[in-house]
Amino acid sequence: MIRYKKDTDNIVTLTLDMSDRKVNIMNHEISQAFIPVLQHLKEEKAKGQLRGIILTSDKKTFLAGGDLDYLYKSDSAEEIFNYSQQMKAFFRDLERPGVPVVAAINGTALGSGFELPFACHYRIAIDDNDIKLGFPEVTLGLMPGSGGIIRLLWLLGIEKAYNVISSGKKYTPQEALAEGLIHEIALHKDDMMQRAKNWLMTHPEGRQKWDIEGCSIPNGTPNNPQTAKNIAALTARHIKKYRYNYPAPNAILNTLVEGAKMDFDTACRIESRNFTKLVLSTESKNMTKVFWYELNSIRQDKSRPKGYGKFRPRKVGIIGSGQMGSGIAFACAKNGIDVVLKDVSKSVAEQGINLAKEKFKQLLDQNKTTPENVKTALSKIVATEDSSEFETCDLVIEAVFENQQIKGKVTRDAGKHMDEYSFFASTTAMLSIDDLSQYFPKPENYIGLRFFVPIEDAPLVEVVKGPKTSDESVARAFDFVKKIKKTPIIVKDNPGFYAARVQNVYLLEGIVMLQEGYSPAIIENACMMAGMPIGPLSKADNISLKVVLNAERRAAEIYGKKYIIHPATEVLQMMEKEERTGRFNGAGFYNYTDGKITGFWEGLYEHYPVCRTDYNIDHLKERILFAQVLEAVWCYQEGIVFSVEEANIGSVYGWGFPSFKGGVLQFVNDYGIDQFIEKAKELEEEHGPRFIVPKLLRKMALESKIF
Amino acid sequence: MNDALIFDAVRTPRGKGKKSGSLHEIKPIHLLETVMNAIQSRNDLDTKNVNDLFIGCVTPVWDQGANIAKAALLYSGWDQSVSGMQINRFCASGLEAVNLAAMKIRAGWGNLVVAGGVESMSRVPMGSDGGPLLFDPSVVMKTGHIPQGVSADLLASIEGFTREELDQYALLSQQRASHARDQGYFKPSIIPVYDENGLLILKEDEFIRPNTTLEGLAALSPSFEEIGKMGYDAVGHSKYPFLDHVRHIHTAGNSSGMVDGASLMLLGNKEKGEKLGLTPRARILSAVTVSVEPTIMLTGPGPASLKALEYAKMKKSDIDLWEMNEAFAAPVLKFQRDLHIDIDKLNVNGGAIAMGHPLGATGTILLGTLLDELERRDLSTGLVTLCIGGGMGIATIIERI
Repeated sequence: MIRYKKDTDNIVTLTLDMSDRKVNIMNHEISQAFIPVLQHLKEEKAKGQLRGIILTSDKKTFLAGGDLDYLYKSDSAEEIFNYSQQMKAFFRDLERPGVPVVAAINGTALGSGFELPFACHYRIAIDDNDIKLGFPEVTLGLMPGSGGIIRLLWLLGIEKAYNVISSGKKYTPQEALAEGLIHEIALHKDDMMQRAKNWLMTHPEGRQKWDIEGCSIPNGTPNNPQTAKNIAALTARHIKKYRYNYPAPNAILNTLVEGAKMDFDTACRIESRNFTKLVLSTESKNMTKVFWYELNSIRQDKSRPKGYGKFRPRKVGIIGSGQMGSGIAFACAKNGIDVVLKDVSKSVAEQGINLAKEKFKQLLDQNKTTPENVKTALSKIVATEDSSEFETCDLVIEAVFENQQIKGKVTRDAGKHMDEYSFFASTTAMLSIDDLSQYFPKPENYIGLRFFVPIEDAPLVEVVKGPKTSDESVARAFDFVKKIKKTPIIVKDNPGFYAARVQNVYLLEGIVMLQEGYSPAIIENACMMAGMPIGPLSKADNISLKVVLNAERRAAEIYGKKYIIHPATEVLQMMEKEERTGRFNGAGFYNYTDGKITGFWEGLYEHYPVCRTDYNIDHLKERILFAQVLEAVWCYQEGIVFSVEEANIGSVYGWGFPSFKGGVLQFVNDYGIDQFIEKAKELEEEHGPRFIVPKLLRKMALESKIF
Repeated sequence: MNDALIFDAVRTPRGKGKKSGSLHEIKPIHLLETVMNAIQSRNDLDTKNVNDLFIGCVTPVWDQGANIAKAALLYSGWDQSVSGMQINRFCASGLEAVNLAAMKIRAGWGNLVVAGGVESMSRVPMGSDGGPLLFDPSVVMKTGHIPQGVSADLLASIEGFTREELDQYALLSQQRASHARDQGYFKPSIIPVYDENGLLILKEDEFIRPNTTLEGLAALSPSFEEIGKMGYDAVGHSKYPFLDHVRHIHTAGNSSGMVDGASLMLLGNKEKGEKLGLTPRARILSAVTVSVEPTIMLTGPGPASLKALEYAKMKKSDIDLWEMNEAFAAPVLKFQRDLHIDIDKLNVNGGAIAMGHPLGATGTILLGTLLDELERRDLSTGLVTLCIGGGMGIATIIERI
């Protein structure tokens, strides 16, 4: 597990190699294994036979992180607290005896895997952009628990440490150097080992800042009035961002502020207590479930049809160079895929390339890429007006106007130039994949790829399987989505597919509250407080009230008698009559000046006088979440979405369902299925049949099952 | 029961609370010494008769730390038998000091007590004492406590006050204050501040801007927009979700100014007063505190005043003059509107918007100013109230003798 090698300069290299695992992780096992090693090193030091230690790894990664399986299952505060304290004791044993230790970071080090290097006196990493360094715990509702927060506090000060840890950001070695997280960059492994040795030859003593009398935390402690003011400002920004819903960033901030008032070891104990509380919190269990277990199962192809070889797209054709088409072109080029961007004329298509250029420029401005990378990526996009260019494409995606005739025409045209192995995707959000597939020579090679906006940020793509779409096409589309670094979920060809359908219910439930006499501000605020990223009125304005209403009209056509008219459609019809159809129209639920919100439309108060002043905000918050959860359960029951993982991930990534709830189906587990059904019945009594409990849930309750 | 009687009230002028302010070079203990000497000499007081000294101070650290009351007693040469205590009820500290003195006297456990307040905001800026309410993230997240300026804007937004209404009120405060100063209404109680050589430092309030215009006020930019938008507005929204947005309309012009100053009052019972030949000017009829929702914070004065009236068995119409601390314009307007107070009876000589708000000293100043004005107009009853951090409110009713 730990290989020991001593050279003639009395420098010991300890190499981590957990032989029974693919990657090294931080856990009881490794900390126990270190005990005799550290004891031996102490003795060597006493005998004067030890100059220093280099800590490195033999695997591709340095140290992948903590033992999530252990933390996820644990439910004993005492056990977790002791675990956290034991890890800390191990780290203290490494850094305190005065023997200088260098972390030679040969690969990715994340979470507690990146905490270990901070218990070393010097950190060197190899200059390789594939190496990721950072503390992503917060994205799973957790925080570092082996003293990492307190060590960063001492190295960077409260505010910078907060930014590094609460962002969960993963840094490249170059970025980590700029941020002050590591000391030195090496060209390659040998260079790194040499540099580590050089440092040890010139530094006979290893002392951490926090163990040196008189050293202090950068930028002051909370007892310094200016620092106190900065903390207050930080707290304000923090509250605005998290709205009290996310305990992990709260705990990180509190640990830093409280820890800054204490000596190192007391501060570490405070960290352990906060860590324990987080590990046991429902929010962290929910977030770990959705963002670790469920996301990984999708990434590991659990939902991908089996038995088809991996598809490696080399060249993709895109029809339509607007926001959608150019956005997809950008995503492809960025991930090394050649793109043919076609539009009615070459000059129009070139405008699409310009849009992609702007997106690359933003990345450059944010320092997220290099000019060389941009140059390479842009050289991959070719503008054309000629469909014959599609002959060499593995996949052609149309992103033209939402009109069946137009889509039909471009599909037919492209189909003439595509061979039987290549496949065709539509980005439609509104039309049926089955209907559209008739325009393609091989309907089994026709599929839907539902992107979300803005494409460069939206992590999700729905892979829409029509009735004729072959499993092989699904598998290839799945691989394509992964290749452009997005998360695919497979959904059935049905109005609104999955995400947009449930999101529509969110919007309608918010909108109908207007009719009930709630003020628009209460509606927006209640939803934000419930954890939604944007209020329903504002969101509906953004995507256009026409789109929201048309989705209902289509559902009414398709479901016929089974369709339950949502009372919010009345409000939308009124808005349509008033010619206030949303942001693009310059007028919706909100007033706009130059595209910016200036306030709610005054007419709302005339149409729907505010009469509900007796509201209970918690009821509104619950109701808005219940509406979405019930619709998602319907989708699952109807086979629109095929797995719990996809339903949960799709909800968080697709329309911003609160991640601290663990996604839309996990909400039911969390609430308790019996209690959920009880509450839904109350809502049904009060608000009508749209809150009817789907059969599936009642069955699950009877069988004591959970999602 | 022993009536709590007021024999005398004095204050220093208020200096601008910044480096360029006249009193910046003066130590807070020297400000207290100034008013203590005045109380002693104006009343020919042998200080060994004094039972206790209560001093309100909101930021009791550095020059104001470690019980400034006892420090000032020793420094001013008062008899060593006099005990002293510094108290902090935020903006109401000076009035609370008086109220505690009154309680001691009415309880019969004291017969001559001195109470007042001090604050050198130029030397010890607000917040210098830290504290979980403002600076501990976990406490802030749990309590919803926000900076008072954002609370004032939140209050104005909820109550629907406009920027014009606030500025109009600010202008009134300036006009009233400069009129009162010009007419010498404050003179009887103002004790000029001198240096150790007897050279004059400041003899009148220096914060008043007599040339204030509505246009000038309208041109000022909002003071709390930046911190509000940074995040504190979101706290307001979670407490008051019906509010679409917080309108940041308080400025340096319609909020109280930061100033340096001290104030002091001599209180006792009838028997002790007669024995020392002191003339009672007024009696304290009731003294109360309340507390309300902490995020909106500044709405305490209404309920506090009603409670004080109840204790005094009085009606609103029994009050001849009202003083409500002008911490910000909006809380004053809300107070006036909710209690239907005639604007001609409220803050008749201006207030903290024009003259400044030396936190710990303000309560005593307001009570003294009110008493002076009751005497000048030959009226009988007055009520003083202040909004207080954390959502508290205070009110005291006096009646002239």
